[in-house]
Amino acid sequence: MLKAINKGIEGLGRWAEFSIRVFKTFTSKGVSSTSLVEQMYHVGVRSLPITIVSGLFVGAILAIQINLQLKDFGAQTFLGGLSTSTTLRNLGPVLIAFLLSGRVGAFTSAELGTMAITDQLNAIRCLGMDPVEKIVVPRLVALTCSSFLLLILGLGMTVVGGVVISSAHLGVNPIQFSQNISLFVSSWSIGIGVVKSFLFGLMIGTISCFFGYHTAGGARGVGRAVKRTSVATLVSIILMDFLVSTALESLKTFFEIMANS
Amino acid sequence: MRNNEQRVLFLGFEALLSPIRLFATSCRVLVFSIVNIRLHGREITNQMFESAVLSLPIILFSLTIVSLMSILEFSWHMKLVLKQDALVPGFSMVLMVREVAPVVTAMLLTSRVGASIAAELGFMKVTEQLDQLKLLSVSEVEYLVIPRWVGCVFASITLTLASLVTSICVSTGIASRFMNYQPHEFFNTLFVFTKAFDLGGGLLKAFCFGTIIPFVSCVCGLSCQGGSRGVGQAATRAVVQSCLFIIFADFFLSYWLWTF
Repeated sequence: MLKAINKGIEGLGRWAEFSIRVFKTFTSKGVSSTSLVEQMYHVGVRSLPITIVSGLFVGAILAIQINLQLKDFGAQTFLGGLSTSTTLRNLGPVLIAFLLSGRVGAFTSAELGTMAITDQLNAIRCLGMDPVEKIVVPRLVALTCSSFLLLILGLGMTVVGGVVISSAHLGVNPIQFSQNISLFVSSWSIGIGVVKSFLFGLMIGTISCFFGYHTAGGARGVGRAVKRTSVATLVSIILMDFLVSTALESLKTFFEIMANS
Repeated sequence: MRNNEQRVLFLGFEALLSPIRLFATSCRVLVFSIVNIRLHGREITNQMFESAVLSLPIILFSLTIVSLMSILEFSWHMKLVLKQDALVPGFSMVLMVREVAPVVTAMLLTSRVGASIAAELGFMKVTEQLDQLKLLSVSEVEYLVIPRWVGCVFASITLTLASLVTSICVSTGIASRFMNYQPHEFFNTLFVFTKAFDLGGGLLKAFCFGTIIPFVSCVCGLSCQGGSRGVGQAATRAVVQSCLFIIFADFFLSYWLWTF
């Protein structure tokens, strides 16, 4: 038990060290635009279908569940506002980020892991270049940016999914659905969704690059790296969700107190 | 370009169909040869331990935070709509039982168990251990797939129940700390809206997700090709496809169980 906790803390420290090293390389040396564009294509454009589909379905599922609870009270007029607000603030970013972490994070960690196993990273080192600069930085920047953009697209698609399912099967037409949205969803809620998306993107990027870069032990090691990446990203997404919500809520209360006094 | 699109479409269909084919094969093995099937008991208990017991800490930790979040968010929304939070416990419990507990548990199981199944079977395939099994005339469905299926279904159902218990404890604690509830008062209003049917539906969802994960991952692992790169790709594909199938299944089950 104690050993496991020790190991976890050690891993956390090594992850932080690795991230700092990558960011230092990024700020001092920059990133070459051709490899950045290539990585953005591989990671971002090719994950578009999965993001759109998952966004639609997540929105539809939440609309169905919230409709069931409101129907008993005859409060279906609130359906649009409530389901949009719940999805944007909390469950939407988390569920879409789960899917993206599988698609994007596990993909990158498998690719980097294969490079590490087949000594391609060492070959780059032999040629006198820094593998962090050439391989890791473009991937991490591309991952962070494209996860951020994809998450925001996915959040938009959840609204579409909610509208479609409620007008098709729940008897709430799109106008009724959208009437209450402005009542519930303030710009602050959207801001929470956006901040969460950015941080989730950052977590997916750094964690998958960290586990991929430090892969050892043949084909079995690559599998292990992928498994560790997906577990670590999921847990960190949930943890981040909680921390960001709490921090932003207390910030909001602080602002309100400042405005009132 | 057109050719490429056709290939992508074909691959998509294959990804959809091959887990179903493997599922049908396993069912056939289970049903038609129930007399002379060799259930590898040691393997089954191993897989139960691997997927249920070893995933317990991470799932309990995550579900603690998720239920904490969901109760705070619910009280925020209720205050916005009704200007009070008397109905919070009932509502959040319904959403927890029907939706959050099975889905989040299944997603975490996918990343832990699904990826490791695909990586393990992919590694066995790459190192030709599967061919050796064939030489020893050990059926891979009997020896590899069915134990993982049993273990994963067991893990999914028990962990969903465990996460429900966790969420009840956590939300009681949070409500009595932050929302001016007495614990017994909160506990009494917790099950106002939850019926036995909801719990049954949640467990049915858990069973379906527990079936989806091992079959999709086994197909990805067994069809893995090309060394260490192939193993990584197999694990990635297992995670992505299981997550997608889980979301689809969740949508259809929610619709079928509760809308009609």
